[in-house]
Amino acid sequence: MMNGLRKRMWLLLILPGAFFVTVFMLIPLFSILLSTLFSESTFTLGNYGRLVQSTYFQQVFGRSVRLSLLSTLLCALLGFPCAYYISRYSKRKGMMMALAVFPMFTSPVIRSFSWMVILGRKGIVNQFLVGLGLFSRPQSLLYNEFSMTVGFVQLFLPQMILSLLGVMDSIPEDLTEAAGSLGATRFVAFLRIVFPLSVSGLVTGAVLVFTGCMTAYTTPQLLGATDTQVLSTMVYQYAMSLRDWVQASAVAMVMIVVTMLISGIFNRLSRKINPMAA
Amino acid sequence: MALLELEHITAGYEKNIILRDFNLKVERGQFVSLLGSSGCGKTTTLRLIAGFSQPNEGRIVFDGKDITHVPLHRRNFGFVFQSYALFPHMTVFDNVAFGLKMRKVPKEEMKRRVMEMLALVDLTGFEGRYPREMSGGQRQRVALARAMVIRPDLMLFDEPLSNLDAKLRVKMRVEIRRIQQELGFTAIYVTHDQEECFAISDQVAIMNGGVIEQMDSPAHIFNSPNTEFIARFVGFENFFNLTRRGGALQTESGLALKVTREVSGDRFRACIRPEDVVLYPGDTQGENRIEGEVLVTTFLGRNIQYNVRTAIGEFVIRAGQEQAYSVGSRVSLELSANKIILIRS
Repeated sequence: MMNGLRKRMWLLLILPGAFFVTVFMLIPLFSILLSTLFSESTFTLGNYGRLVQSTYFQQVFGRSVRLSLLSTLLCALLGFPCAYYISRYSKRKGMMMALAVFPMFTSPVIRSFSWMVILGRKGIVNQFLVGLGLFSRPQSLLYNEFSMTVGFVQLFLPQMILSLLGVMDSIPEDLTEAAGSLGATRFVAFLRIVFPLSVSGLVTGAVLVFTGCMTAYTTPQLLGATDTQVLSTMVYQYAMSLRDWVQASAVAMVMIVVTMLISGIFNRLSRKINPMAA
Repeated sequence: MALLELEHITAGYEKNIILRDFNLKVERGQFVSLLGSSGCGKTTTLRLIAGFSQPNEGRIVFDGKDITHVPLHRRNFGFVFQSYALFPHMTVFDNVAFGLKMRKVPKEEMKRRVMEMLALVDLTGFEGRYPREMSGGQRQRVALARAMVIRPDLMLFDEPLSNLDAKLRVKMRVEIRRIQQELGFTAIYVTHDQEECFAISDQVAIMNGGVIEQMDSPAHIFNSPNTEFIARFVGFENFFNLTRRGGALQTESGLALKVTREVSGDRFRACIRPEDVVLYPGDTQGENRIEGEVLVTTFLGRNIQYNVRTAIGEFVIRAGQEQAYSVGSRVSLELSANKIILIRS
């Protein structure tokens, strides 16, 4: 009797959170979904049909997914060695971690502006390239998919490193030692032991980076151009410039579904690599 | 020639040198234990031999070859960890097969050898399990099989039984010894458990403060410890000084004591085990007897422990229950001549 009451008391704890999520997220989301599915109170898929058939939308959609996947891949490639170093070899772990997450302390707006300075025609990258004689005149490194990808990677790399670090720290050192004593080089031990055991962190990181890239607004807005729109800037354009709230909502819905879908695929892949990862 | 030799090894960090000018010889086919309390350097020594860490100075010679700088993965030594260190994402079969895969052993042979090894450790039928689905004792045996299947030139054990309960520990140590004798490998075994180490080893090296204090067969160490530290380690609790005066050994109080096993020298630390002292009621005279007064009695079940004050210090005695002595009663202690061990001081 007492036990049942206790259990119900515990449920009270999730009430505030549940209330907040319902009122400020689930209900608005649902109403947005409804607004895209009904036109003058008749059910229609027309809003989505129009989107799918538009070549412009197809381009933007493709770019969004492509840049997000590419940035996720780059974050994984850059984040893995970094997290491994911090978890295994670094003597000053706290400081290294602080350095890794330091960029998170500045706003994405400021970071984007910094990239404008760095990648601009008179920026240090161009000065360096021209100075080395690799190019005769400055290259356009800004307002294209390149600068957007650079911005995304820098924006979300800390998330990847932190996610990986979380699982790598829980892999006992003696597993790699055991692999070594059985004849595995450090690289093979990494590949066969550390990597599969880190996959759950990799997936968490990949989901964070991918959803981050898909939904980021300031970075693509500031580092991209009108011909490099992504879904988030497209939503803004529909809603604010064209005042077409229904179409903006439809694009937002597509964003949510795609993000969830790809996150699900990441999870699937991880279970294939490490069947014991929960 | 010894199979493994550690010569003048120094290891540790600048502020914390764990081994200084450390030497060790292990003969082929022997089961050698490194025994000592935590921080004595036994695990450091084992990890140096395995190749997990490098000595600052000195050489490690194996089978006539200097292996000091041979990397870990090319040493072909089996290592059994205290934590077992099984790969959690692999089945028992894949865990055991790991070393063979690294050696690119053909599939058929690999399968045969893994199954043979699992049969040896009594785990046939478990090859599809994951480590987390097994008990501590079973995991221990997987770890053993995984290390042995590569036919290592040397087996290294780092307190492999300390995570098991007492009963299983005794069973597993017999098992390890059986397999070692069956396969004939050379083994180095690190432990802090004296009983375990005496039961399992041909040779025991007792370490203290980064130095081997004594290395001998278990029986030899048990019966003639070299130092007071070792004597305490193997159950001697009563120590007193003996000096040779005019051919006879005398206590500080001037009592002459006979000792069967004489050692050359003039000044000694003598010791005797609590079980070896015989108690008599009252003040009695006789060879090797001293008088005392019972200070504390403690009931231990099978016997009773007495703390007795004598002219040469306090003695701890464990005697049977046939005769009980109360606190304050006068007793005589017989320190039999053949039970006193002399340690040169």
